[in-house]
Amino acid sequence: MSEWLDTFWLVYSNLVLTIGINALLALSIWLTLSCGLLAMANAAFMGLGAYTASLLTMNAGAPFPLAVLGGIAVPTLVALLVGLPTLRLSGVYLAMATLGFGEVVRIFLLNADSLTGGALGLSGIPQLTQWWHVVIAVVVVLLVLWRMRRSRIGRAFEAIKEDEIAASLMGIGVMAHKMLAFALGAAIAGLAGALSAHLSFFIGPNEFGFDRGVDILTMAIFGGIGGLTGPVLGAAVITLLPELLRSFRDYRTMINGAILVLVVLFLPKGLWDPARMRSWFGRKASRALTTAADSPSAEGPH
Amino acid sequence: MLEQQLVNALSLGCVYALFALGFTLVFGVLGVINLSHGAVFMVGAYAALTVVTHFSAPLWIALVVALLASGLLGLLIDVLVLRPLRRRNAPHLIPMIATIGIAIFFNSAAQGVFGAENLRFPSDLVPDKQLQFAGIQISELEVAIIVLSFALMAALMIVMRKTQLGRALRAIAESPKAAALLGIDVQGLFYLTSFTAAALGGIGGVLIALYSNAVFPLMGQPMLHKGVAVIILGGMGDIRGALVGGLFLGFAEVLSVAYVGSTMRDAVAFGLLFLVLLVRPQGIFGRILERKA
Amino acid sequence: MNTGSRFATRTLVAALVAAGAITSACAADIKIGAAEALSGAAGQYGQSIRNGLQLAVDEINAGGGVKGDKLALQIEDEQTKKEQAIDVFKKLIFQDKVLMLFGPTLSNSAQAADPVAQAAKIVVFGTSNTADGITSIGDYVFRNSVTEADVLPETLRVAAKHAAVKKVAIIYGSDDVFTKSGYDAFKKALEDLKIPVTTTETFAKGDVDFKAQLTKIKASNPDAVVLSALIAEGAPIMVQARQLGIDLPFIGGNGMNSVKIFDLAKEKSDNLWVGSPWAIGSQTKENQHFVVSYTQKYKSAPDQFAAQAFDAVHITAQALGKIKLTGNLEADRKALRDALPSVSWVGATGAFKFKQATDKAGKPAGYDAKQAAIVSVTKGGKYSIEQ
Repeated sequence: MSEWLDTFWLVYSNLVLTIGINALLALSIWLTLSCGLLAMANAAFMGLGAYTASLLTMNAGAPFPLAVLGGIAVPTLVALLVGLPTLRLSGVYLAMATLGFGEVVRIFLLNADSLTGGALGLSGIPQLTQWWHVVIAVVVVLLVLWRMRRSRIGRAFEAIKEDEIAASLMGIGVMAHKMLAFALGAAIAGLAGALSAHLSFFIGPNEFGFDRGVDILTMAIFGGIGGLTGPVLGAAVITLLPELLRSFRDYRTMINGAILVLVVLFLPKGLWDPARMRSWFGRKASRALTTAADSPSAEGPH
Repeated sequence: MLEQQLVNALSLGCVYALFALGFTLVFGVLGVINLSHGAVFMVGAYAALTVVTHFSAPLWIALVVALLASGLLGLLIDVLVLRPLRRRNAPHLIPMIATIGIAIFFNSAAQGVFGAENLRFPSDLVPDKQLQFAGIQISELEVAIIVLSFALMAALMIVMRKTQLGRALRAIAESPKAAALLGIDVQGLFYLTSFTAAALGGIGGVLIALYSNAVFPLMGQPMLHKGVAVIILGGMGDIRGALVGGLFLGFAEVLSVAYVGSTMRDAVAFGLLFLVLLVRPQGIFGRILERKA
Repeated sequence: MNTGSRFATRTLVAALVAAGAITSACAADIKIGAAEALSGAAGQYGQSIRNGLQLAVDEINAGGGVKGDKLALQIEDEQTKKEQAIDVFKKLIFQDKVLMLFGPTLSNSAQAADPVAQAAKIVVFGTSNTADGITSIGDYVFRNSVTEADVLPETLRVAAKHAAVKKVAIIYGSDDVFTKSGYDAFKKALEDLKIPVTTTETFAKGDVDFKAQLTKIKASNPDAVVLSALIAEGAPIMVQARQLGIDLPFIGGNGMNSVKIFDLAKEKSDNLWVGSPWAIGSQTKENQHFVVSYTQKYKSAPDQFAAQAFDAVHITAQALGKIKLTGNLEADRKALRDALPSVSWVGATGAFKFKQATDKAGKPAGYDAKQAAIVSVTKGGKYSIEQ
């Protein structure tokens, strides 16, 4: 049994840890969505975290925990700077502005040759991420988000998501809360980036652009953004999909796309939807499955 | 050199505008960011290529075929995917994600059917005769693209402003529910818009395939990225915005290559985009009001 | 037939069957893995490589295999994604337990996935990775793809000699590891040859319009244009250059060495100089044999990627022929690694040997290709070899 486990881990360790990292990314975008913000910059923040942490370990010989902290700090600072002007925008315009910002970061990473290695990327990053790093990161983030959700801050986010004007009339500092969501989302994405870089020896500027941003969004929406379980589940399924579909050889990507469309069509609230599960499985069973973290009246952003 | 660069910018801008026209039309009327527009664009190019190579058809027939193939695909996407989502009143992110899935599906289907490598139109079909005046080189094809973009924009503007159809479409763009209450056949017009936008994409696909000498499965993706930038700059949902935004991006790119340095091209283009968004987030022609249900 | 010969026939048949049974019982398949980009952006290269690998494996097996053992090639798709490359490597190494593996297709993916092979002490043999930082990973990393740094100086020298080139303009893809490394190698070679650069322009993958850069190049008045690009952008660049009235010779890197240029650029493809370890026009017996078998089997002309993949399998087979497989995977993998560096082989790409590279600290590491480059120029839809 333990030999099977060993082989399993040898073959699939990367995959399992990637699920954890993708879960962090999906949660980071969930956070911003829960405040009504469609911010598509998290892939760029991930990139900033990855590069910062890698440069710290490779060039400055920093110990891993310090490098990870650097990987969290830099995206957060950038988010605070960028958030000020852009968070005034709403809806689709915010999405586009943040997408544009993401491209600017990618171009910066591409052109700052001497620092980032440009198109050649950074290679030879020491493989320092252990499985328990990822586990701790996911658990801590889940805990923080869960607590936040049940606190005043969480309720303020809900209020802002529902109706910004009413919320501000009620005395909620709308801008301050949006900045909090945006910056914290950036921090989580930076953490994911730092861990991911030390998992795969090599990072390049092209992996933190538009496509990655779309992937992250897809994972969250696919899983369902009603609660915390959805993004984690979405991350797991989307990460595993290429692996599960491997036997389909040439048709794999096609099936990938088809699954995405089918889920969106037939499972509108994402995979993890307590209300639908109730209607499918009946009260008792779905209560056993859902946790207190999922609120029954969840909806997407407007 | 400056004159040549200005001409280069004009033709590049119109290339971008061609793609953006269909893209913005869907957003304006259906309220959906249709990320499968790149795939539709690509299908048009392949459809045209197939009739030209297998049936030795002349170019104009290939264009018609592309128009029909892409248009029908766009219509199909609307009927099968976008319409059920509309009925369900899904928040606008959801259809966008569905279109991502559709794009992935068709991009890899194309790779499976046609192979991953670059194909091209037979060279005798490409109108690449060079015209020269005042020391400037421009090909017949580029002239055609420029004329067509302006013509299409003008045609669409006339429809929008001066016809009953246009008024109905603008009403729908404001508020589909209200339009339905006014007796407008909202569903039918949605179908028409999806078909037309996709057909425009298909024509764009053929022309750009001729221009760049390449047909390949992922050809829609880089255009999609530029297209997003164009409609942000020009104003999402606005037809003039597609052309003006396209020209703006074309000029920004060409002039930054010519006078700043080609490595800075994308930085300048996106930097400008970012600035525009900060100063005037709705873009040049857009309106800041969010669409009502 | 009389009774005597019937008995003889039956005995003969029985003996043959027995011999067959014994040999097939002894013949174990040698499992070889390959992780190539069969889909995604590098799909066309990965598919070429797959064809080359398969052709060689089939050829060797048809000849009886290696010392009676047949080669079993297992190819997986790494989708041009480095995460997939890592996952596929792990699967082939730990689950399918292959003896060695080929791939991945792009240098990017190799930088991420090769360390996995190195740590697992299994030979990874790249047939298309040309960037830096790959063989420096460790002594289990091999490649027969000649790096740009080795080929480009030769290309420049021959082109400059024939085309009286005194100054050049450069245009390269700034967002791709392959084309950027190509640029770095060109830049260094130009400095060494003391050829000044009039202007340096860049483009990105997926661009369709290069007239801005080309107009600027034309205005700077060079004698030739150095082009570090893959065919997808390289072909339109040549076409648009000719359209703008730039009739200068183009000097290309590895990526431009493909017969597709004739298809894509037609009459505008003339006057392109490329250097590479392989040329389709090379008249050697080995290359002609390869070209003919490839064309027969796949109904299209081979390219450099297929040629290098084809040779790589033969080189590996040579090493396999020198070792004795014990059935102990770890020992066998190590034995193969030890036997590989000393292989010398004449294949479709010509005479081949390995030379050892060093790692970042200067210690000996993996093995690069030691092979002479062939320089050709395009004329009328064909590559013609020049010296």
